[in-house]
Amino acid sequence: MIQFTHSSAILLPPPPPSFHHNDLLNPNHQLLHRASRPWTASAAKFHGSCFTAAGCMEELLVHCADAIEANDDTLAQQLLWVLNNLAPHDGDCNQRLTAAFLRALIVRASKIGSFDLLTPTFASSTSLHLHRFSAVDLASFIDLTPWHRFGYTAANAAIVDAVEGFQIVHIVDLSTTHCMQIPTLIDMLANRPEGPPFIRLTVATTTSTISPPPMLDLSYQELGAKLVNFARSRNVVMEFTTIPSSPTDAFVSLIEQLRVQRLVSEGEALIVNCQMMLHYIPDETAGVITRSMFLKSVRSLEPNLVIVVDEDADFTADDVLVRLRSAFNYLWIAYDAIDAFLPRESERRRWYEAGIGWRIENVIAHEGLQRVERVESKGRWAQRMRGAGFRAVEFGEEAVGEVKTLVDEHARGWGVRKGDQEELVLTWKGHHVVFASAWVPS
Amino acid sequence: MAGEAISKAFSLKPDQDLNPPPAKKKRNLPGTPDPDAEVIALSPKTLMATNRFLCEICGKGFQRDQNLQLHRRGHNLPWKLRQRSTKEPRKRVYVCPEKTCIHHNPLRALGDLTGIKKHFCRKHGEKKWKCDKCSKRYAVQSDWKAHSKTCGTREYRCDCGTLFSRRDSFITHRAFCDALAEEAARVSAVSNQGNNTAAGNINYLFTGGLMRSNMLQNLPSNMKPNMANNNVEGIGQCRDELSLWMGHGSQSNEHLSNASMHHIGSMGGAATLHGDLFASNSYAQQIDQNQLSWLYSSKLPCSSNNGELTSTMKEATDGSQSLLASVPSLFSNQHQDRPPPMSDMSATALLQKAAQIGVTSTTPFEEHNKFDGLLSSSHPSSLENIMNEFMVANSYDMYSATRRHGSSKDDLGGGGGGGGGGGETRDFLGVGVQTLCPSSINGWI
Repeated sequence: MIQFTHSSAILLPPPPPSFHHNDLLNPNHQLLHRASRPWTASAAKFHGSCFTAAGCMEELLVHCADAIEANDDTLAQQLLWVLNNLAPHDGDCNQRLTAAFLRALIVRASKIGSFDLLTPTFASSTSLHLHRFSAVDLASFIDLTPWHRFGYTAANAAIVDAVEGFQIVHIVDLSTTHCMQIPTLIDMLANRPEGPPFIRLTVATTTSTISPPPMLDLSYQELGAKLVNFARSRNVVMEFTTIPSSPTDAFVSLIEQLRVQRLVSEGEALIVNCQMMLHYIPDETAGVITRSMFLKSVRSLEPNLVIVVDEDADFTADDVLVRLRSAFNYLWIAYDAIDAFLPRESERRRWYEAGIGWRIENVIAHEGLQRVERVESKGRWAQRMRGAGFRAVEFGEEAVGEVKTLVDEHARGWGVRKGDQEELVLTWKGHHVVFASAWVPS
Repeated sequence: MAGEAISKAFSLKPDQDLNPPPAKKKRNLPGTPDPDAEVIALSPKTLMATNRFLCEICGKGFQRDQNLQLHRRGHNLPWKLRQRSTKEPRKRVYVCPEKTCIHHNPLRALGDLTGIKKHFCRKHGEKKWKCDKCSKRYAVQSDWKAHSKTCGTREYRCDCGTLFSRRDSFITHRAFCDALAEEAARVSAVSNQGNNTAAGNINYLFTGGLMRSNMLQNLPSNMKPNMANNNVEGIGQCRDELSLWMGHGSQSNEHLSNASMHHIGSMGGAATLHGDLFASNSYAQQIDQNQLSWLYSSKLPCSSNNGELTSTMKEATDGSQSLLASVPSLFSNQHQDRPPPMSDMSATALLQKAAQIGVTSTTPFEEHNKFDGLLSSSHPSSLENIMNEFMVANSYDMYSATRRHGSSKDDLGGGGGGGGGGGETRDFLGVGVQTLCPSSINGWI
């Protein structure tokens, strides 16, 4: 019996910190071909481990996934062992990223029938601890990086513009972050020179068992009560309604309610605000047409404005190896960005990374309708919106200014740029992270 | 430029004599010019030109009057013309060149050349002055300077004591902060006692401020939020303060919290006026329970209290089921033995090790949570192939690394490259596979 931990335990000093590899990777080499991505000098500050390490981890993960798919137990286990030693979950951000993928691969392996040997060991220890946030905690949590507030800021500016002159505004908030955008929107509407409108806020409360983080520790009723109370404190009358409806069926019950309500809503502006939620609606890669169907249904409501904010990446490939690469080459940003803001041992960072871990597990280990993380690129979303009968509107100068101010207040790697079709894109070290777009019926 | 200087000059009263009256200059309302004044309409280009003192002889422009005078001497003018003209210069007013602007109308001309320039800049011009701290842009430099002085100096403080440097964070927090609910509840209680204006917003405005200060005064001083908290987690949003304030029990504080819960209940009743929020009874119960659970089970670390910090961290760690914890021998024990030796080995070294180990045991894996060694590799070639790929990759890495850095350091998953550590002969072709031995590992710096 061989014990690896003790007998061969060798104390080694940690790798040298600021070590930069700029063009280390020979682009001709078939394995390490990350050079195709845009690459800024500042990305070299990828804390501690160098670029090669990331490439190496990615390749090992891919090989491992491949072995799992091929039912090559031995190879898979060997690679899992290697990966596990290379990437402690509390190491540098590269290692944490890899550890999350490793975990997801193990979950995947345990779901594929032939991995009997692995299952008893790993299945018991794969539960992620997802924190349940109080409203105030969540408010502070979403401000760790501009990942979410970028979309809020752009959307709020566009919404306030779109509802100018309307005395009743109906906001349908489809967001994964539980109305965190709403207080600032209420505040902006309260400050309108023409006075605030009457606000109707409708939120879909998911009935699905697969619900992405962050999780709340209070009910939507309580959350809504707080919002109404806040609105009142700003002299704004607001009505809060929840409708049980989930992305799995393209919010069918929500649409129905809205359709009925729209019939009697003269002079009311309807805003559909989608923040990171739409990619949970299954698309063609899940074998259904619900995604486009949803957009068409929304179009039929004749909304005044539709906001689409989501992540600019593609997790929809059928082949798990392709998905793994896409997700690895996108979610590194989440780990890197938080590293620039929170220390390694921070509890909030643990919560944050647990949330990303949930998503990674969903992308890698699940299939069919259980795999809800079907992120697709902004180009694809734009195509869908146009296909559903919308046209893009640009964000005004003020909106852009506010977004830039916001981003400037965060770590230096964050940036904003204008996309090629009126959308705004949040970037980290030059890479696209989140896009924000505004649409009106065409 | 001289030709364009004055494109047209006319007066509002055509029959004005050349000696305009008054010595006293009274200041008119902006945009309501002196009817006797001469209206000048300058083109945008001229308006924005920096040389507004023009020599009447050659038309050359100067930024300052003194410079113009110096220049005029050079023209050798006859004596009488050398002086400046004795007559009082006619009052001049200027119109904005922008046709759509209200100040384009001579009746709304502005009296000052500087004024019209600033107006034109601000309203119709390019904003080339930008504030460093926020995104605001200004066309007029003095506006920009004035703004810079005040920008960013504001801080936002919630009633619960938390400080924010950004307004949006402050607003979001405030909406969900219980301090707001408390205030509303108190106000509602007060207003209920008086005239029943449960839905009256006006009461909030009048009494809100009073309530707030009363509330803070009622707190015993040792429960007041600790402003000096060192925030290890970035900018000044210390959630800990809230838990301090609301939380962990002194008698008076609990009393306060209980009282507040009842108030929130009554506020819940008021809120049902708006739409179909919730039945007031169930809401009150719900909020009580949640308040309780929140008060008593708040687990957030308090940076001022280190003991608490470690205990909450431990909780979280235990809670997060690390898949490593239950298989100590398979995976390096990173919770107990702090140094993680394996992760500092290179990927290739680990791959080698994995391949070697394969032969020892074939006992099937069982649930006594010990791993008796990896299964014997039925396809030894697959791992070898991967290793080879990595070696080749490493050799490239090593090569380019030494070229650029002149050192042996190569970081491949934290360890030395395929050929070993610093100072040793590197095998660029990856031909000689080094066996895993302490010396090669220690050689890596």
